This record gives sequence, C-alpha cells and structure tokens, in this order.
Amino acid sequence: MIRDWLCKKILPRALWVYHVNCGACNGCDIEVLDTLTPYYDAERFGIKLVGSPRHADVLLVSGPMTRQAAPAARRAYEAVPDPKFVFAIGSCATGGGMWHDTYNVLGGADQVIPVDFYVPGCPPRPEAILHGVATALGLTSKEVHALRAIQECDAVESCELPEDEWLTQELD
Amino acid sequence: MSRHVELDEDRAVTAEQITDSMRRRLGDGLLDSRPAGPTRLYLTVDPAKIVDAADELFNGLGARFVISAGTDERENRGGFRVSHFFSFDDEDLYVALHALVPEDDPRIDSITPIIPGANWAEREIQDLLGVTAEGHPDPRRLVLPDDWPADVYPLRCDFDTRDRPASAEGMAPPMKNRPEGAVMVPVGPYFPTQHEPEAFAVFVEGEVVVDSDYRGFYNHRGIEKLGCADLTYNQIPFIAERICGICGFVHSCAYCMAVENAAGIEVPRRAQYIRTIFLELERLHSHLLWTGVAAHIIGFDTLFMQTWRMREPVMWLCEQLTGNRKTYGMNIVGGVRRDLPADAHEKIEKVIADVEREWSALTDAVPGDRTLIARLEDVGTLTPDQVRQTCCLGPTARGSGVAIDLRIDHPYAAYGELEMEKCVEDGCDTLARTLVRLAETPVAIDIIRQCLAKMPDGEIQATIDEEIPPGLEGIGAVEAPRGESFHWVLTGENNRPKRWRVRAPSYQNLQAIGPMIHGDVLADVPIDIGSIDPCYSCTDRMTVIDRRSGQMRVMTREEILDRR
Amino acid sequence: MLIAMNVLETLWTKIKQALICLRPGRVTLPYPFAPHDPEEGFRGLPRLNVDKCIGCGGCANVCPARLIRIVDKDQTTRVLVFLYERCTFCGRCAEVCPEGAIEMSREYELSTDDVHDDMIGEYHIFMGPCERCGRCYRPPSVLDKLQQPGFRSDCIDRKCPPEGCRIVLDEDTDDRAEAPTQTASR
Repeated sequence: MIRDWLCKKILPRALWVYHVNCGACNGCDIEVLDTLTPYYDAERFGIKLVGSPRHADVLLVSGPMTRQAAPAARRAYEAVPDPKFVFAIGSCATGGGMWHDTYNVLGGADQVIPVDFYVPGCPPRPEAILHGVATALGLTSKEVHALRAIQECDAVESCELPEDEWLTQELD
Repeated sequence: MSRHVELDEDRAVTAEQITDSMRRRLGDGLLDSRPAGPTRLYLTVDPAKIVDAADELFNGLGARFVISAGTDERENRGGFRVSHFFSFDDEDLYVALHALVPEDDPRIDSITPIIPGANWAEREIQDLLGVTAEGHPDPRRLVLPDDWPADVYPLRCDFDTRDRPASAEGMAPPMKNRPEGAVMVPVGPYFPTQHEPEAFAVFVEGEVVVDSDYRGFYNHRGIEKLGCADLTYNQIPFIAERICGICGFVHSCAYCMAVENAAGIEVPRRAQYIRTIFLELERLHSHLLWTGVAAHIIGFDTLFMQTWRMREPVMWLCEQLTGNRKTYGMNIVGGVRRDLPADAHEKIEKVIADVEREWSALTDAVPGDRTLIARLEDVGTLTPDQVRQTCCLGPTARGSGVAIDLRIDHPYAAYGELEMEKCVEDGCDTLARTLVRLAETPVAIDIIRQCLAKMPDGEIQATIDEEIPPGLEGIGAVEAPRGESFHWVLTGENNRPKRWRVRAPSYQNLQAIGPMIHGDVLADVPIDIGSIDPCYSCTDRMTVIDRRSGQMRVMTREEILDRR
Repeated sequence: MLIAMNVLETLWTKIKQALICLRPGRVTLPYPFAPHDPEEGFRGLPRLNVDKCIGCGGCANVCPARLIRIVDKDQTTRVLVFLYERCTFCGRCAEVCPEGAIEMSREYELSTDDVHDDMIGEYHIFMGPCERCGRCYRPPSVLDKLQQPGFRSDCIDRKCPPEGCRIVLDEDTDDRAEAPTQTASR
C-alpha cells in the first residue's frame, strides 16, 4: 500500500521506462515507440525510455513469455529498483495471445514476473497505452470489467447464478 | 510494359530444361519431376544425391536458394521429408527439391558447404525435426531454447504442441571462436540490461571488426507447429499476421497464396487489387518507420520523430479501412474479408498525397546532410557475390545491385497488371540500401494510385465448396518491405494443413551481417545491422572482445555512438 | 572556398530539415484529455448479445486464439466463456456468427490491474434438451420460439443437429428412447 502511495505521489512527475521484449512480434513495441512520437508525445508527461533497467521506474513488457527469454526477463525485472511498476502491453503479454499454449511459450508475462497493469490490444493503440499509464497512476479509472449475462428465459421461473467452481474446473 | 522482362535466350531456363539437366546430373537419383502450373516445379530426389542436385540448381543453373524445410512423414511415407527450395527469378519459377530420409536413419548431407545461405535452415531442421545435416560446418543449436532437452523434436508428429519438457542443463550452444588466452565470460543473452532478445558478439582487433557471432531466436513461439495439423486453414492467416509487427499483411497474404496455389483456388480480381493496396500501404509505413529507426540508431532523433509523424496518417487510414492500425485481419483463404468502403478512394488518395509531399521534402533535405551521409557511406559493404552466397534479399540485395523484386520477378496479387520499376543501387553500402528504400516510397504510392484507378468490381472472396484435399503442396511468396517472404504449405486432413513453412526475409538477411560488418569500425556495427532492416533493429547490446588483449567488456549504445 | 561551400550547403540542409519540423506546427493530439475514438468498423472488444445467441459454437470453432470455451453446465444451460485476456480482436467470431450475436465494439481502453477477472465474458444461454439424447440445444428459429411453451411436444420435431445426437431410432417405428419432457424445453 505504501508502495502504491509512493508510486502515485512520486512517479507521475517523471516515469522512466525500460522496455523488454520477451518474444513479441514487435507490433506492440512499435506502438510503444509511437507514444513518443509527435502525435501522442508521451514525453509531455515526463515519460521517457531509458537504456538500463537500473534507471527505470517502470518495466514495460511486450510479447508472450518464451522459454528462452524468461530468465532474461526475470533478471531485467530484478534489476529495476523499487518502487517499480510492471506493465504488460498487448494481448501476448497479458494472456499469451494466440500462442499461449505452444511448447516454447510459457504464457503471458505474469507467468514469470508479477505484473501490475495490463494493457490488452493487438497491438494496443498508442491511446490505449497512454490510457493504461494514466489509469495505473490513478489519473483516470479503468473502464473494463467482467461481462456476465444470462439469457432471459420464460419457461423457467427463477434462476440463480450458481457458484463457479465447476466453471474454473472446466477451464483448466 | 509491366513485369515482362525480355529473356536472354541463352539464359532462359524452362521447367523441362531443369528436369533434363537434373536427369543428366543425377541419373536414377531423380525420382520424380512434377510441374504444377507454369511457375512451380516439384522434384523428388534420392537423398544420397541431394548435394549434387542442389549444386546443379545453385551453381549449374544459377538459381537462388530460398529456404529448407523438414516434414515428419513417418506415418504415411515412412520417413522425414527434407525440402530445399530454389528460385529462378528471371523465369518466375520456384523449384522444390524433396528428399525422403528413412525413419531409422534420419541423416542427409548438408548443402551448406556449397550454399552458405542454407546454414540456418539446415540447423533448424536439425533442431526441430532431428534430421542431422552431415558435414554442416556449424551444427550448433539455433532455434530451441538453451534449456531444451536433447532428442526432443517439436515438429515431429508425436510431439504435442502443448507439451513442455523439463529443463535440461548444458544444452546452450557455445559462442564460437574463443580467442586464445582469453577468459570467456558468458555475457549477452542473459545480461540484464538487454533491450531486445538477441545478442551479437563482435570480435575486434583494436577498433576493426574481424569476426562475429549471433544468438537469436528468443522470439520462437512455435508458430509452425500450430500450422502442423493443429489450426484450421482459416485460423492461420491471423497467426501469420502476428509473426511480424510490420510485415503482418505480407505473411497472411503469402500464406493464403500458398494454400490457394496448392488447392487451385482462384482469387477474384477485386480481392487481388485490395490485397495489393494494403501490401503497398504496409510498405509505405514500413519504409518510413525504418528511416526513423535508422536515424535513431545514428543519433539523429529529429528525423526519427518526423518520419514517424509522417507515417501516422497511414496507420489511421488502415485503422479506418480494416479495423486495426497494424493487424489488418483482411485475408482469408480465397480472398479478403472486407471490401473497401465507398469513400475509401478519396481517403487513400488524401493520405498518400500528404505522404508524397512530405517525402519529397525529406529527400530534398537529406542529400546535403554531410553528417548523415558520412555515417552511411562506405559502411556495411556487401558485395554482389556475398549477396548471392548468403542468399539475402530485398533492399539489402538491391542496394548491392542484385535486382531481385518479387513484384516483377514472381508477380502475385495484382502486380502482373501494374507498371513498376525495380529500385536498384550499386553502392553496396548502407547508403545504397537507404536510397533503395527512399526510392521505393514513391513507387509504392504510384502502385496504390494505379490500383485505385483500375480497381475492378466483383466479388472479394472465392467460393470454396469442398474441403481442400490432403497431400497437395503450394508456394506463396510476397515481396515484403524487407525482401521475399516465402510460405510453403502441404495440405492435410480435416481442414488443416499438414505442414506450413514460413521464411521471413530477415532470416536470410541476418546471415549477411557477418560478411557485412567484417572490416568495419566498431561504431558502425549498429547501423550496419539496422541497414538490413530486421523487424525491429536493436543492437543496443553488444559484447566486445578485443582479440589482442583478450579482454572483454560490454558496451552500451551511447558509448558506441560516442566513439565516432 | 570549398569549406565555405560545404558549410553553406550543410546550413541550407539544416534549414530545410527545420522547415520539415516547423511546417506542420503542433500536431499532438489532446488525448487523454479529450477522447480520440476510432471510427466505425474498428475491431475492439467483442461483445455477445445473449438474446440472439443460439449456442451453436461457431465462434469457438474459428477463434485463432482459442479463447472461447463452451461448457454445458446442465441440460438447459450452455455457458460461453470468453477469455478476453488473450483476445487479438481479429473479429472472426463476429464474422461467422449465424445470428449476428457478436459485435466488435469500439472499446479499446481495456487496461486493468486484474486482467484475469476483468477481461472475461461469461454468457449463459438457455437451451432445450434434445428429445432423443437429452443434451441441450437451442431451437434456431423465431417460429420455434413462438411454438412454446404450451405446445404439445409430439407435434414438433425437436432434435439436436444429427451429428450431435447419440441415440439411434428404430427406423420402422421411430420409437424414442425416452418420453419428451414439457417443462425442460423452450
């Protein structure tokens, strides 16, 4: 909690970002670079890319976590000093994308490093990345939430949503 | 006139002549010769004669080596198929050499000694299929991760896509050429400050590069395995689109074309034109992106910002037309999914007119920039002979005078009906490759205008009534911004391909880096690597080993740039 | 003299480069202080309209990321679970849905701190059981919907698609294995 408070008080002034590609196609990497270009200009918020994780406040991870890149990603995470944020950018980093279950992909970034914020998209628009950063810093609130819907049914009088244990079992 | 090149009668090679030539060379070793239309020839040879066959095609007949592929056919044919693909660019002909090695003795002679560009392809077959390339000069592990156990081959049919074998020790491939007397500290792939998962080790004497090594394939995601009797024909274009963050549409086109080629599906003309428009839009934004990244590498950030500003409206345009800035999701086997909206022509014309105007200002402002030119001229030299030996492609080859451009050599989509010229430079250096890309930008704009003017009406998808039968093979090749993107598909049962081989152009171009940086000063290595335009050129991380002193230290990009 | 020419040329080049930067002026979009929504046709989060869904599973069949799971919870409920965390927004689910129940919304601001709980869609579809095998299915047409409840079940031939039914009928007598139930069907 103190860490979160620290992050929200100090970091909005200038976020230094270190980008790690764990196996991405580069689509998300290019959109991350795009946020620095004139139309989106992330640097007006004090965000800049740095060349060493030791200088960074935020670790930006893109790509599914491949088996080969996992140790490198873990070390990069450990090299970023506290307090730090980890952002997973793109569908591959949030959930493993289309290759989440292949032999060389471990899944999303959170299989190997703890992720604080996820920005889904394939690739996410630069606006979505900026929105993610703003939400993480508490400048705006998140928009997405779980969608649950039950089809209306006339024949059955009442239906209660049962416990989801069976559901999680089925999903494995 | 568009693609037609007057063939030199002495050089013109037909499928019949190739077959005759192979028969003379191999005798009984040529087991089968099967042309499939005027542009494809599939030869089956005795594996014992594979080197002779490859030599005849590459050296005897002057073909270009494209890629190799391995397929597990133990179940239906009792062995592993090793395929080497060649291209006769002047004759619009792709030739495949197939050889079946027996299941109980999975070995085949390596063709790398005669075709250096086959180096990685054969190592990949070793890694993923377990077919040893005998006599390969560098049989180290290439693709699989450092902790992958021995004797586990992912592309074999009995290996499940979702299987994850336990970690194994001691399997990491060693970096080559340890200097005598030096202590090798394994920095590089696991070093924490690495920006991008790839590592170059550069060996220097003083300042001059004398050798190098490379450990890549951190991005290996098992894509081809998903195309091995796993995903259906129409799921794969979306996988293909995400192979690369810039050439997405190229790969999905090449895959769809390979399946269409195999199954004999005729794509409606309107769909071909729509594909062409998006291919060229992708080339536009890719070249502008590269210009920015190259400028960023040599420290010219203003140019980076401005070229990326210029390319942004192209991204918005693609988002309006396809629903996404980069992953267009337009391709499906048999055509495209979405038609162009009614106002597309005006929207496209406006954006490309703006890009054209800005590009003119840019090319006007670059030639007089002596600092920029000094960083690019006479740097990263690649001779035409080295181009041929390493089999590299695209602007990397065209910058050395080797004029391969699939849009004219192997026309696909609507290019056969359009007029264009190849952009070729003779400088052989990084500046030449830059000029090629700058010259291709107005050509791309012109092609888009031609497509808009000639856009035919009609359907956008072919009707496919029946399931695609198994056992057919097809090739699809597209000129990506970086060179030839080559896909080979073997159709299978149950609405799925049996084998899908992908070869992106950077696969060959990266192998050209060794000869390219040899003899250059250390500080030029990042822009040399950037000049081939690997998908995201990142050479921040470099290990420097001074052969004379035997000392090693790791340099940051800032240090490298400051040295000039 | 030559040096002076070189200097002038470089200076002139730099002026041209400066003009490239200055001519467009300030281009920065006001986002995030003002919205910058994508146009129609943008492929954002796919949303399922439960009222139109017939539970056919076509979407699950074509999804390249294989993120749609179909679970038949019981004889009357089919649950579609969309694991949006790995959705790549390709739009194939929306394209193949025969009822047009899936729409690619224009939502792209999907960032969250808890992707596994937030990026999930769970849709419960009520189905009727097949009279022959008892597994649930949903009658596909509006006409079918009009014909119940209260319609005598032996007047309507309600069966799940042939390939799904496990029970073989006697060809001569067309005898069913078990009697149809009124309340469980729709």
